[in-house]
Amino acid sequence: MIRDISIGQFFPGNSVIHKLDPRAKILLTLLFIISLFLCKNFFSLLLMLVFAVVCVLLSRISVNLIWKSLKAIIFIVLFTSALQIIYNDKGDVLWKPSETGRFCITTGGVYSAVFLSVRIIALILFTSLLTYTTSPTMLTDAIERLLSPLKIFKVKVHSLAMMMTIALRFIPILIREIDIIMSAQKARGAKLDNGKLGERLKAMVSVFIPLFVSAFRRAAELALAMECRCYSDGTQRTRMNRMRFTWRDIVSFITVGILIFAVVFTSFYPLWDIFLFQAVM
Amino acid sequence: MAFIEVKNVSFGYGHKTPFEVQALNNVSFSVEKGECISVIGHTGSGKSTLMQMLNALIKPEAGEILINGKNINADKKSVSAARFTVGLCFQYPEYQLFGETCFEDIAFGPRNMGLNEEEVKKRVLQAAGFVHLKTEKLDVSPFDLSGGQKRRCAIAGVMAMLPEVLILDEPTAGLDPSGRESVLRMIERYREHTGATVILVTHSMEIAAQMSNRILVLNKGEIAYYGTPQEIFSHSNELISMGLNVPSFTKIMIALRRLGYNAQDVYTVEEAAKQIGALIRGGRDT
Repeated sequence: MIRDISIGQFFPGNSVIHKLDPRAKILLTLLFIISLFLCKNFFSLLLMLVFAVVCVLLSRISVNLIWKSLKAIIFIVLFTSALQIIYNDKGDVLWKPSETGRFCITTGGVYSAVFLSVRIIALILFTSLLTYTTSPTMLTDAIERLLSPLKIFKVKVHSLAMMMTIALRFIPILIREIDIIMSAQKARGAKLDNGKLGERLKAMVSVFIPLFVSAFRRAAELALAMECRCYSDGTQRTRMNRMRFTWRDIVSFITVGILIFAVVFTSFYPLWDIFLFQAVM
Repeated sequence: MAFIEVKNVSFGYGHKTPFEVQALNNVSFSVEKGECISVIGHTGSGKSTLMQMLNALIKPEAGEILINGKNINADKKSVSAARFTVGLCFQYPEYQLFGETCFEDIAFGPRNMGLNEEEVKKRVLQAAGFVHLKTEKLDVSPFDLSGGQKRRCAIAGVMAMLPEVLILDEPTAGLDPSGRESVLRMIERYREHTGATVILVTHSMEIAAQMSNRILVLNKGEIAYYGTPQEIFSHSNELISMGLNVPSFTKIMIALRRLGYNAQDVYTVEEAAKQIGALIRGGRDT
């Protein structure tokens, strides 16, 4: 149930994508998102989708998992598509239920619905790859390094990164905790998955109070343990795993660079319009 | 037919992910009414999964569990019936306390059973009696109690449902020796009073030997041994190779035998003391 959520989880592996420098991965993801929004026609969008799929295949993450994470956003995709179809009235009218009403389905609406759906799917495919292939510690380390220029403005980058690491680390712990508490209360007959809405809400109280109590207890214990190890806001701290850019990162940057060039080129010099529709946006 | 029958039960976690584990593999055993069974096994041997199955919290992927001749996973009704027939007390139950007062917390189970307030009150007082929780403590917030008292209050919450089968997952974990003794005594009190079947999950061989008439040893999701303490501890070498242990007095007897003394296997401290006394008086046998 709760364990089924796979977004944001890390799956250890040994693929090319796993081996990339986490900083590079974050930057590449950002670049990918930006170029995704630079796409103006189907050809460039298709290019992005193909690139995302190739990356997913390279990462050797099981298709099942990817499918799971896509299933989680299916509602958002359907919702935005529906909105586009209903509210976009550009292009030719395809279907009009009544002559007097303003509601009609147009080619423009359908195009932008498909366009947006593909865009969201590509976005989720690529961004979930970042968390699937990068361990939370690597991720926060990389964010810390990338944000380190902010130190000039006296931003406590290290504390922020530490808070993020701890928060991420606590997610699975708290999920397990919820699981145990829910089971324990169910064993005492709590109506958590059957019964009326009121009964369920009442039963949830028996889960959330112990959960909060234990979250606070764990936080206090962790703070104490960190103090015992003389933790302080680490300005002089060195790292166990130093991150290094390698030829892989250079290659991936070049690849994404070419991709962006292709996207911009096809979007602003629409050579392909002759045989491909340009999305009516 | 036995009171609890577990037939060819299997279960695994995280199918089709890199974290797949087979928690239980074709496990079958039965428990008679009124027995006290200890379940021992290394961490990850599938003990907790098995215990949650007996309470219908987890549905076996294969096989079935019969309690009193009825399949507990047959339908929704039998599942909720199983929750009340089988009282399951999780490890560190004090972390599941939530009531405003101890009374409210202990009353949670009986209220979920749909009993009237009068009966609920009776049950709470009775359960508080089992665990020796003083009546004046019932009006106190459970979060203001000491660690040992919290544990008692939480166990009382399960006992108040008067389950015919009481399962306790490591009820003595993290307690000092006197706390441990008092928890064991309250389980015995509950058994004497209700004639309930008790299943104890424990790491302590001493507790298993002292409390139970049969011991179930789980290893990597399979039953390694199931029998009386005598039978189980005669396999001391195998137990040790499973990462388990034998009671310290059994170890002493084994060591004495190795030294050439005529030491029999014993299962309680008293027996061990008697034998060692006899050996001191009798001297070397060979």
